[in-house]
Amino acid sequence: MTSQTRSATTDHQVESIQQPRSHVRQFIVYGLLLLGGALVLIPLAWMVSTSLKTDAQLFLPGINLIPNPAMPQNYIDVWAKLSSIAPGMTFWRIMGNTLFITILAMIGEIFSASLVAYGFSRFVWKGRDTLFAVMLATVMLPGIIQRVPNFLIWKELGLLNTYDPLTWPSLFAWGPLYVFLMRQFFLSIPREIEEAAIMDGANVAQIYWYIMLPLIRPILLAIAVLSFQGNWNNFQGPLIYLTTPQFFPLSVAMQFFERSLSIEVPQWQYMMSLATMMALPILVIYFLAQKQFIEGINVGGVKG
Amino acid sequence: MRCLPFIEMQFIGFKEKDMDPGALATYTPTLVRYILVALGLGIVMYLVYRVQIRFGVNGEAATGRALVTPWVIGFAVFSLFPIGASLYLSFTEYNLFKAPEWVGFDNYNELFSVDFATLESREQRSSDALERRYGEIIRVEIGDGGFVIGAKEDAFWRSIKLTLPYAFISVPLGLIASLGVALLLNQKIRGLSFWRVLYYLPAVLPAIATALLWRWIFAPQSGLLNNAFAPVYRLLEIETPRWFTDPNLAMPAFIIISLWGVFGANSVILLAGLKGIPPELYEAADIDGAGNWAKFRNITIPMLSPALFYNLVVSTIGALQVFDVAAFIQTPESVGTFLNWLIYQEAFNFRRMGVASAMGWILLILILGLTMLIFRSSQAWVFYQGTREEATT
Repeated sequence: MTSQTRSATTDHQVESIQQPRSHVRQFIVYGLLLLGGALVLIPLAWMVSTSLKTDAQLFLPGINLIPNPAMPQNYIDVWAKLSSIAPGMTFWRIMGNTLFITILAMIGEIFSASLVAYGFSRFVWKGRDTLFAVMLATVMLPGIIQRVPNFLIWKELGLLNTYDPLTWPSLFAWGPLYVFLMRQFFLSIPREIEEAAIMDGANVAQIYWYIMLPLIRPILLAIAVLSFQGNWNNFQGPLIYLTTPQFFPLSVAMQFFERSLSIEVPQWQYMMSLATMMALPILVIYFLAQKQFIEGINVGGVKG
Repeated sequence: MRCLPFIEMQFIGFKEKDMDPGALATYTPTLVRYILVALGLGIVMYLVYRVQIRFGVNGEAATGRALVTPWVIGFAVFSLFPIGASLYLSFTEYNLFKAPEWVGFDNYNELFSVDFATLESREQRSSDALERRYGEIIRVEIGDGGFVIGAKEDAFWRSIKLTLPYAFISVPLGLIASLGVALLLNQKIRGLSFWRVLYYLPAVLPAIATALLWRWIFAPQSGLLNNAFAPVYRLLEIETPRWFTDPNLAMPAFIIISLWGVFGANSVILLAGLKGIPPELYEAADIDGAGNWAKFRNITIPMLSPALFYNLVVSTIGALQVFDVAAFIQTPESVGTFLNWLIYQEAFNFRRMGVASAMGWILLILILGLTMLIFRSSQAWVFYQGTREEATT
């Protein structure tokens, strides 16, 4: 009782001084937002800034965010350095490798995840929910535990040091998360739509292609974006399966540079230019497709 | 004790067949096999459908099963079989060159061989106190003596010593920080989408790029952090911290890196959760005269608990499997490295497939155990609106 009256009075006080208080509040909120924004951006600015520095500028005392003179040349030199130890390891080759792996894996992931999610959501069959639970449980399996036997499988198939282990297994819906996201989306589509199509004599393939795919386009885009990012950033897979430097995607090329040319004296300007080159396409896609990114994560977050 | 060099051997010793045949010659065979596998998969799906129809299964069920066939095959070949094979390998000694040799529980015995010894003086070296082949994991000095705990696989125990506390500290801290960011973004602010895009940025960047970036920021000399805080160090008269090479500072540095990532996915999910709380609940609380804290405690947290739960599970599983960061940030031997990276090294650099598989299984059990624990506890603190049954799947 007493506590209620007390809070009632404070509420009254709050109302009477609301004007200045809300200003202070706004001030604090925007102050914190700016601080957080700075914490996000400063490391990134440092990455780009470092990538444009000369050797000497790296070790100047104090903080020099804007290098003078700027060295965009680093972005070309780093490839010359890589080519000097592994001939043919050029920018175009490594970018091509990265895109080749990323796009093939992405297509496989989108295509298979949408089919599997379709089967898990729009059809009734015995054992469906058990199997789906098993699929979700596989999220808990640490990837590394499967790496050793998988490595042996690819070794037996004679496909080590090829792009096979990184590309076509995606056709088997290797990302349970994407299936889960798509299933959530499929479940929200009213059943009448399908029934009307069946009445018109459409078969499953037609329903999937002409009715379902257009309806799930938002989530397809979201998954395309997430999958592109995931495969572009993938490091563990290519690290294990690829051995020839010319075959490397950007991620492993970066490690190759670090372990071969930068081992004694870290050449931060070159490593940061590689890091910038790796981050840039993702950033561009992110800014173009931010809605899809955020959507994709949100659907995943709804009900664990 | 480990005496193998840290530098990887993978780049050394190319074979003839590893020579580069040019871009086109490397892409084409994979592309062909990709298309063949896709076609083959289509045929298999069709056969799965036909066989069921032949056995009198109705069309709907047959189609459903045919559609999930790709995942079932992939699960069997690339998950279930490897899991079983890795369990088998964990009971063998295997270096890729000779056939696996069954050794029973030897790998696990080695991993769990721990030795406890007392120190007679502070000067006594741990290796002298411990049995031969045992390396130090924990050394405590009390008064004139103390004790030391060692293990045969000391690298494994050091990695546990790094990985588990890292997860226990970074996950709750990350959850609190991301909740803070979500609450901040949930205020009445202009340009919400701008701020959200900005805060989510670290999560989209390649983890290996940011790992390298942070190593550079934490560099003892001329790193951004130490440069920025140099006046503070001077003022407080402390030595310039050497972050990743200092056994006491390596873990805090790793935790700082992990916190940078929390601006990302976790906050976005929690923000969506916050936006989904019906305003009527707060209005009703206002009428009852509830203060801000009471509202936060009794409305926000319970309503947000499913999202918090999801984040907790995902972050815990992730924190136990740090890989990219560990690959690019070397730590001194006394600190050890993260378990996931250690397993990779054991398997692919040192070719100890058996031991690596045993470690993998221990990691699996750790993840399963912790996830179970979170799931168990969730009944006490996770609040599902309405559909309880559906939400528990």
